[in-house]
Amino acid sequence: MKLSVNGVEHELDVEPEMPLLWALRDALGITGPKYGCGIAQCGACTVHVNGLAVRSCVLRVGDVQGPVTTIEGLGQADALHAVQAAWIEHQVAQCGYCQSGQIMAAAAFLAIQPEPTDEQIDRAMSANLCRCGTYTRIREVVHTAAAKLREA
Amino acid sequence: MAAHRYWLATLAVIVVAAFVHGPAVAADEGLAAWAKVNEVFSHPRCANCHVGADNLPIWSGPHYGSQPRPHGMHVDAGASRIGAENGLLCMSCHGPRNAEANHGPPGAHAWLLAPVSMQWSGRSSAEICAQIKDPQRNGGRALAEIADHVEHDALVGWGWAPGGDREAAPYSAVQAAGFLREWAGHGAPCPSP
Amino acid sequence: MGRLAKITRRTFLVGAAALVGGFAVGYVAYKRDPKNPLLDDLADGASTLNPFLLIDAQGITVITPRADVGQGAWSVLAALIAEELDLAWGQFKVDPGPPSAAYYNGKVAAEGFPIAATSDSFFARNGRAFGDVVGKLLGLQVTGGSSTVADAFDRLRVAGATARRMLLIAAAKQTGEPIDSLSTRDGQVLTADGRAFSYVALAPAAARLAPPHEVALKPASQWRLLGKPMQRIDMVAKCTGTAAYGIDLRLPGMLHATVRTNPFLGGGIRGFDAAEARSMRGVVAVLPVKGGFGVIADNTWRAFEAAARVKADWGPPAHAFATDALFAEAAASFVAERRDSRFKDEGDVDAALAAAGASAIEAEYRVPCLAHAPLEPMNAVAQWQDGRLDIWTGTQIPRFVLAAAAELSGLDEHQIHLHQQISGGSFGRRLEDDYVRQAIELALAHPGPPIKMTWTREEDMRHDFPRPFAVARMRGVVADGRVQAFDLGIASASVTASQMGRIGQSVPGPDTAIVAGAWDQPFAIPNYRVTGYRVPDALPVSSWRSVGASGNGFLHECALDELIHAAGADPLAERLRLCTHEPSRRLLQAVGEMSDWGTPLPAGRGRGLAYTLSFGVPVAEVVEVTATAAGIRVDAVHVAVEVGKVIDPVNFEAQVQGGVLWGLGHAMFAELTHAGGRVEQSNFHDYTSLRLYQTPRIEVRTFETTGEVRGIGEPPVPPVAPALANAIFAATGQRIRELPLVKQIGFV
Repeated sequence: MKLSVNGVEHELDVEPEMPLLWALRDALGITGPKYGCGIAQCGACTVHVNGLAVRSCVLRVGDVQGPVTTIEGLGQADALHAVQAAWIEHQVAQCGYCQSGQIMAAAAFLAIQPEPTDEQIDRAMSANLCRCGTYTRIREVVHTAAAKLREA
Repeated sequence: MAAHRYWLATLAVIVVAAFVHGPAVAADEGLAAWAKVNEVFSHPRCANCHVGADNLPIWSGPHYGSQPRPHGMHVDAGASRIGAENGLLCMSCHGPRNAEANHGPPGAHAWLLAPVSMQWSGRSSAEICAQIKDPQRNGGRALAEIADHVEHDALVGWGWAPGGDREAAPYSAVQAAGFLREWAGHGAPCPSP
Repeated sequence: MGRLAKITRRTFLVGAAALVGGFAVGYVAYKRDPKNPLLDDLADGASTLNPFLLIDAQGITVITPRADVGQGAWSVLAALIAEELDLAWGQFKVDPGPPSAAYYNGKVAAEGFPIAATSDSFFARNGRAFGDVVGKLLGLQVTGGSSTVADAFDRLRVAGATARRMLLIAAAKQTGEPIDSLSTRDGQVLTADGRAFSYVALAPAAARLAPPHEVALKPASQWRLLGKPMQRIDMVAKCTGTAAYGIDLRLPGMLHATVRTNPFLGGGIRGFDAAEARSMRGVVAVLPVKGGFGVIADNTWRAFEAAARVKADWGPPAHAFATDALFAEAAASFVAERRDSRFKDEGDVDAALAAAGASAIEAEYRVPCLAHAPLEPMNAVAQWQDGRLDIWTGTQIPRFVLAAAAELSGLDEHQIHLHQQISGGSFGRRLEDDYVRQAIELALAHPGPPIKMTWTREEDMRHDFPRPFAVARMRGVVADGRVQAFDLGIASASVTASQMGRIGQSVPGPDTAIVAGAWDQPFAIPNYRVTGYRVPDALPVSSWRSVGASGNGFLHECALDELIHAAGADPLAERLRLCTHEPSRRLLQAVGEMSDWGTPLPAGRGRGLAYTLSFGVPVAEVVEVTATAAGIRVDAVHVAVEVGKVIDPVNFEAQVQGGVLWGLGHAMFAELTHAGGRVEQSNFHDYTSLRLYQTPRIEVRTFETTGEVRGIGEPPVPPVAPALANAIFAATGQRIRELPLVKQIGFV
């Protein structure tokens, strides 16, 4: 099957029922999306399909219709996405394992809701778990990221 | 003049009802059919997503304690009923089919809440019945179209194949559509409030 | 490590055990500096000036030999060296280095001694120094006990300063300039006339010099890096998905694997039928491992799927652990023969209670088992090829892992290479070696390719070694508006005995963990006693962020709060009156100010105060709550902490926030329960974690007045739960004596 990830077309020979997460991680070696729970409880596996945030651990690769963007495709160290830049500025990450998913969730959220309230941030970002407790900074950083995106 | 109109209306109801069956029998059988429809519609498997204007889907079942509770993770589907306002779509987790893992998110084509006007959660049988019959609140459908919708819609059909160890809605899609048709055939009576 | 490994392992989490024997031998060894392990595999053209510094043509590498589990250890350790070595931030690489005695932790052992942090007695001072001896003698390379910064603060600055001195001497020799005319900046030695010599060029000559016996460290006023906000070295990678955790490792020819062991704890496996699994796509092998089986495949998901189709014949559980029975056993443990410690016994508690008679106050409290559940499930990569074993994993105990690998493989330790990886959290989970052993077992059974073993979340949840349950009994006497007697008994499983037991050792003497965060609190209550009771043969338990204090903070501070209320006193005023430790009094006053303590609140709102001294760090916290129609909402947490010296204020604040939320979320929602010998929870749907919308505002005030450098990873945890429970009492009148609180009251 064909799969477009971060602008690159891949030819994949995997079972259609393989979760997109494992096709990315083990078949394509794209390890930014993380395995945390496997049941869409934690959000560490969040990627974009057609620009919308999805949990790649429960989405079968055979059901993917549209281009996939992972954290690696969102921005790179020398070409950061505004959300990533804000994240670095606020020093959000601790262990960092959930942060790929948090950042992807925030980027998709801000694309839909560019001027979020605290309440909307709480609604949008509460499906992503962080065991280290970076939530305090996440609430702040989403506002910063929103401002950066509006300037851009 | 007013009395005359009242008389005509009464006559019309009697004539129509008599034509179908005999008035008392029709109402009883119709109400019995409705009771089965209501059994389906008010079942948590269906009602949990037919919620009111708070836009909060409901979780219930053996893993969620004795009381139904709002969907975890602070989910709010918004007036859009698909989660658009808050930037977290239902479809972020609920894909086109049930996740294989027992506690993974169920899925179906286009996961979303029913419109507010079609609220069943917390509503009585009479209230649901009135809503089903009201074209303003049933999607502008004739009763036959509602039966077809129940029988064939993919998301509705999920209620009978919820995956994992979730309890399915009672009966089947075909049976539920049959109850609706039977109820309509008996004049679509609603229970008294 | 050979014989040393045995000594080390036996004495790991030494507690009082280390005080028994070995002192004379230890002192001799202590004087001898451990060998620099970087000399072992030194490449041509590379130089090492001490165990923490490697310089080659590519540049400067700073060795940061602790596990970075999210606390920022690598950044803070690098900063200590870079400060004294005059490196620019970011002009060097970091590497955790190999496992080595040179990287001993001199502070972690002392945590097990029954020495109050506030004590300055002869015994206390010598006991702490002895902890350093033990750590060095045994080469305890352990990350834990909030000891990383405390241990490294002097040692790594000295390492940086001595290396700088050696580079200066080398430059003086080369240039003929007097050494006092030279200066250093950004990895270069500068002459007075403006010539620059890079450390890279000077390193070979410097490495041939003997290290100076003494060096002067910069005064804090001259610090460029320390005490100032830094950007963590891992931040960009973690925000761009390029940080490679152990689970992300990719090696040529690598296979993917998973392991299942008996969910009935300790039950073992009698056999398994893997016919279906072996026929599945991508499956390479299904092999027995200790207590279960492993599936090796070409893809992790295929391994997971195949493992689910292996028909295992599990043995019956070794003990049919059940939560109710465990609590009943704990409740039955307040008896003389199970008494473990009584480190605090002031006044005459028995007389005070007898005099009070029926007016004595009694209450029972309990805290549940808790899982670590770091977001990265346990994993390790192992490869056995050509007589060489390589292991890639995140571990807090690298030298013990090395010893375990030697034991499993029969290889000498020099044939085993452990490559430390960054970890997606740990919270104490990676103080165990079970997951690494499984990867090694698979590699030994399947030589050749590297094999990455990854647990499912379900395996991780069911095979954690949890924070132990505990039951506490409080008896107290109040009179004249004051707390007159406070008797606290705590019955719990021994973390130390359990962890030691897993390596076949028994520990003599009491376990300080049973009463940590309770027995050593600086309150001058006239009759004050803390007694630990050990629940025998309980389930396997382990260290969990803030260890014994994690539950004891709740037990001690809720009980004290209850007595203060019974006395009709104010929780803040009474604690201030009782507190004998001046830095702690400042903290109590600070959280009082921050929370406007004493000002009236509308009905349904409440403030709760708690204070815990743990890991040498006193922390006071006030939680504010509102009782809403939808349940309790946690509005704010005010934190005041005394830590001696803050190295990076940005990361420091993150650690405090994280510790607070860790304590808060578990207090509200989490428990690990057992039935029939197996863990009942399996994933985050039933092991509930705090989420963003439940996160309160957190306000942190930091004091650096004592000059004693301490760690901050754990101390913010213990006071949160009691401050929350005390706030709920203030808001609702409901006194909750059991965690998680959600069993008694709903949350928004």
